[in-house]
Amino acid sequence: MSQALLQALVSGLAVGGAYALVALGFSITFTTTKTLNFSHGEFVSAGAFIGMSVLFLVLGKPLTSTTFGADVPGGGGQLLALIGALGVMGLLGWLLYALGVRPFAGRPGMAWVMSTLGFGVILQSIGLAIWGPKPVVVPGPAGDEVIRLAGIGVRPQEILMLGVAVVTMIVFDRVMRSTMLGKAMRAVAHNPANASLMGINVNALMVGAFVFSSALAGLSGFLLAPIAQASLFMGLAVGLKGFSGAMIGGLNNPRGCVIGGFALGVLESMVNLWQAQWRDVAIFVLVILVLAFKPTGLFGGKLVEKV
Amino acid sequence: MAFPTLHRLAAALGAVALAAAAHAQDIKLGFNGDLSASPSAQSGQAAVLGMQAAIEDINAAGGVLGRKLTLVVRDDTSAPPKSIQNMIDLIDNEKVVAVFGPTNSGNAMAWKHIPNQKKVPVIGNVASGTDITKPMSPDADNYMFRVSMVDRYQIAALMAYAKKNPASKVVGLMAETTGYGSGGLKDMQEIAELQGIKPAAVERFAVGDTDMTSQLAKLKAANVDTVVVWAQGTPIAQLMRSMEKINYFPAVLSSWAADNITFFDAAGKTLAEKPLFMRTVSESNTPVQQKLYDRIGSKLKAPSSFSFALHGYDSVQIAAAAIRQAGSTDGAAIRAALEDLKTPVNGLLKTYDKPFSKTQREALTAKDLVWIKWKDGKLVPYSDAVITGLTAADFKQ
Repeated sequence: MSQALLQALVSGLAVGGAYALVALGFSITFTTTKTLNFSHGEFVSAGAFIGMSVLFLVLGKPLTSTTFGADVPGGGGQLLALIGALGVMGLLGWLLYALGVRPFAGRPGMAWVMSTLGFGVILQSIGLAIWGPKPVVVPGPAGDEVIRLAGIGVRPQEILMLGVAVVTMIVFDRVMRSTMLGKAMRAVAHNPANASLMGINVNALMVGAFVFSSALAGLSGFLLAPIAQASLFMGLAVGLKGFSGAMIGGLNNPRGCVIGGFALGVLESMVNLWQAQWRDVAIFVLVILVLAFKPTGLFGGKLVEKV
Repeated sequence: MAFPTLHRLAAALGAVALAAAAHAQDIKLGFNGDLSASPSAQSGQAAVLGMQAAIEDINAAGGVLGRKLTLVVRDDTSAPPKSIQNMIDLIDNEKVVAVFGPTNSGNAMAWKHIPNQKKVPVIGNVASGTDITKPMSPDADNYMFRVSMVDRYQIAALMAYAKKNPASKVVGLMAETTGYGSGGLKDMQEIAELQGIKPAAVERFAVGDTDMTSQLAKLKAANVDTVVVWAQGTPIAQLMRSMEKINYFPAVLSSWAADNITFFDAAGKTLAEKPLFMRTVSESNTPVQQKLYDRIGSKLKAPSSFSFALHGYDSVQIAAAAIRQAGSTDGAAIRAALEDLKTPVNGLLKTYDKPFSKTQREALTAKDLVWIKWKDGKLVPYSDAVITGLTAADFKQ
């Protein structure tokens, strides 16, 4: 049975990697702008489809294809697809901020909730018009052969997902804690007005936060596509679970969000070992319990809401 | 200048009125099902293509009761509220005489009271949920009919196979947590009991799960050698991939959703060839089926969805026969005719000789189903010693 536990742990960490990347994306915009991209999940799907489109183009297939058949894109193509997914999603993040968040941020009311949600619906509808609802099997950069270690099996893409998630978190953490940019971001998070008086370009940082957060969504979509298949609905569950991870960890603590995301993935996998039909019940009861006792999450700092 | 303009306007109005009158004489059929949103949408699209082909053929031969058939198509995007709304719109505003579809079983369950109240027959040609065609109350007039697969028939056959197979000693059940999965699981558990099979493990997974190794570890620990799975194409593929991860391959008997091209794509050729399932038809077409395939094949999203075009084609032919026999487009009269069709209907799947009665609501029954496995990217009929040894007495439902 210990082998089953180990397998569940590894599988859970792989799924948790996707949640953690999404959770980090939520955290970044929340700490800098006090808003969230409510269509983060759709952005994950969009990232997957943009990566996939680049791969199609590299292989000389029409953009609107829905199958790779026997064609496997090479490493160069995959890299191009990654850059495409990050770039286009970053650009979309900027658009989202400029059109959907900036005009409403800081004003009373919750107009930005609606506008970010709407942005996601638009993205999904465009995707459906181009590719239709059929999920597309996307070849991963590291192949699909099961790797066996000490009796447990894992696919290369899952290891890649886990590895990239961990590296991204560490790099982000270093940037936040030991560079000028990080300091500036933390200053804006702490008090935008004061930061502005200190000569920090608050607007640029807020744009940057949305660009980076959306690029992260693109990254998780790109990495997730070979595991879950690219589908316009793949992001919904990941977005919700990533958000839950962020809430458990503490929205205003990026490290906490990452831990929350991974913990959620592992927990799901463990509940599957017990009674899989109760998994979502268990997860959301936990989220509610955590919020009841620690409203800002397990690692979240105190939040002062000015009314 | 004013006069000729007025004149022209009057003429135009007259033409519109005439067109409307001609249009009013058409007999409208409705389709309400998912055409765009869920992975099953390609099945709905195929059914509509088949229905349109049947309507063309019928109209070319002079229509029904001297009137032309037309099809009003409504996409429910797999959402139950939208499907209910479509149903009301089709019946009350479009005044269709019969409705076809839906794609998703849950949506049929959400609105089946509406056609029953409004006395408009529904002939399902995609969704396979067992309960769809059951009457609202034991003695009530039932307006639900079906020309498609039925979950319970498949499960009866799969369980008979598991029971008869000497290699199947310990049986496990798995299902996704959607309405489709839970409905199938209920049927599986009931029929397992009828067969005297005690499932050693019953496991569930979510439709979007990418890793089922935890659930499979429990089956493995219970020494399960045969697993019966009820889920859609993509999750069955993920299940096969998870089996590969932990190198545990029990015999897999699955729902017919494994015929979906999404299953084949996601599982890959080797894993896709493992599950055994049932279908109404293999990919070896009869000449009449091939003729329809030549007409609409290029419009299908996947060749494997062609079976739904056949269901669609035959369901319209049966409806047309019932309208002819009823001699009217009154819903109650059509229902009565459907329940007692005097002349056999030549369909593409088979000849329907009294397909329905007061209690029999399924035009395709267990003996019309074929055992199928994927082989080299095609759905081919499968047979082995267990299947050839199955007799009618082995099927318990």
